[in-house]
Amino acid sequence: MERVVRKDEAAFGELVERYGGRLLAVARRLLGSRADAEDAVQRALMQCYLGAGGYQPRWALSTWLYRIVTNACVDELRRRGVRTAHAGAGDEEPAAFARPADAGRRIDVGRALERVPREARVLLTLHYVDGLSNGELASIRGISVNTVKSQLARGKAILRRALEEGGRG
Amino acid sequence: MNIDLTMDGRRADRFDAMVAEYFGPEGVPAGFAGGVLARAAARQTAAAGLLDRLAVHATPRGVSLIRPGEQAVAEGAAARKWVERARLELSEYLLGQRSFFSVPVDLSAAPEFQQKVLGAAAAIPFGEAQPYAWVAGRIGHPRAVRAVGTALGRNPVPLIVPCHRVLRSDGAVGGYIFGVDVKQDLLDLERTTPVLEGCATTRIVCRVGCVHGRRMRSDSRVIFASVEDARSVGYRPCRVCKPAAA
Repeated sequence: MERVVRKDEAAFGELVERYGGRLLAVARRLLGSRADAEDAVQRALMQCYLGAGGYQPRWALSTWLYRIVTNACVDELRRRGVRTAHAGAGDEEPAAFARPADAGRRIDVGRALERVPREARVLLTLHYVDGLSNGELASIRGISVNTVKSQLARGKAILRRALEEGGRG
Repeated sequence: MNIDLTMDGRRADRFDAMVAEYFGPEGVPAGFAGGVLARAAARQTAAAGLLDRLAVHATPRGVSLIRPGEQAVAEGAAARKWVERARLELSEYLLGQRSFFSVPVDLSAAPEFQQKVLGAAAAIPFGEAQPYAWVAGRIGHPRAVRAVGTALGRNPVPLIVPCHRVLRSDGAVGGYIFGVDVKQDLLDLERTTPVLEGCATTRIVCRVGCVHGRRMRSDSRVIFASVEDARSVGYRPCRVCKPAAA
């Protein structure tokens, strides 16, 4: 990380190599489409690079990267809210998953997740993609560990209920 | 009772498996890091380039004129202060670190019609755009679309009064004092600049660019999609920039 702070391009490449897949997974699950996820992660990493001095060594590097990528995704969700309010329609991409046999299931989870309030959805995504601890989730979103616990519990309950309802229907 | 518990257990396993599968990892495309570096370089070049070729003028009441040209030292301490502050805010704005301007503008030299037009343009939120006809309608002269275009074209304080958020009705970008490319760049920049940021230490949510936010350490910055979202996890809106009203 010391080298990224000094704007070392090779070090930056290694960082992307190491964390890119997980960051893209978080963005993809939050934003729904692969193209939007790549755009958001690129923008977030661009900010890391431009403002790499903002990194605090007391943080785990992954925590800092997740913070910045989550920030970019949440802001994209805000814009969609504005756009949806104006145009009256979203632009999800639910059918683009790779293996046809799993497609139905994946769409189920995706749809069910949409019922979870935004902040809880963000925490659930970070929790499931990388198994982050409640303490890490609290640092990433700048909230207390107790808030993380209550938001995760609430989010899981809503997700579970939505999936069960979907399974019966 | 025992049977019920087993059923619940099985259902929980299936739930966990389904969710875990959904959240599987993604591959990183080739050239991803290179793309990021190219974007970063382009952003820095564009911001520095525009700032270097514009001159800010001010009166003791505020910024009165922004035009292409070389920056001269303003006369009088008050005017100098506004020029300095405007250039700082413009630089932050162009780097995607500011979503509104707080430096005052002095439009007293502009005709009344133009003042109304500029007022309407200033009401278009950051990151959004409206057609010239919308501005004409808003000031109560729905047929004066051409006059609106002229008044915006002569906007004394472009960037700060966001005439770049006004487009042609067919969706074309329309003209701009710094060139059509810059207008498109500004629209793209605003589309990707966050609007609401919270401070993890104080648990206060501000509009990006608020004085409070500028004192914030960069590792305390958390972006929110709405003031309601921020409230739901224990943040309160800033009393200075009043994000709930924005």
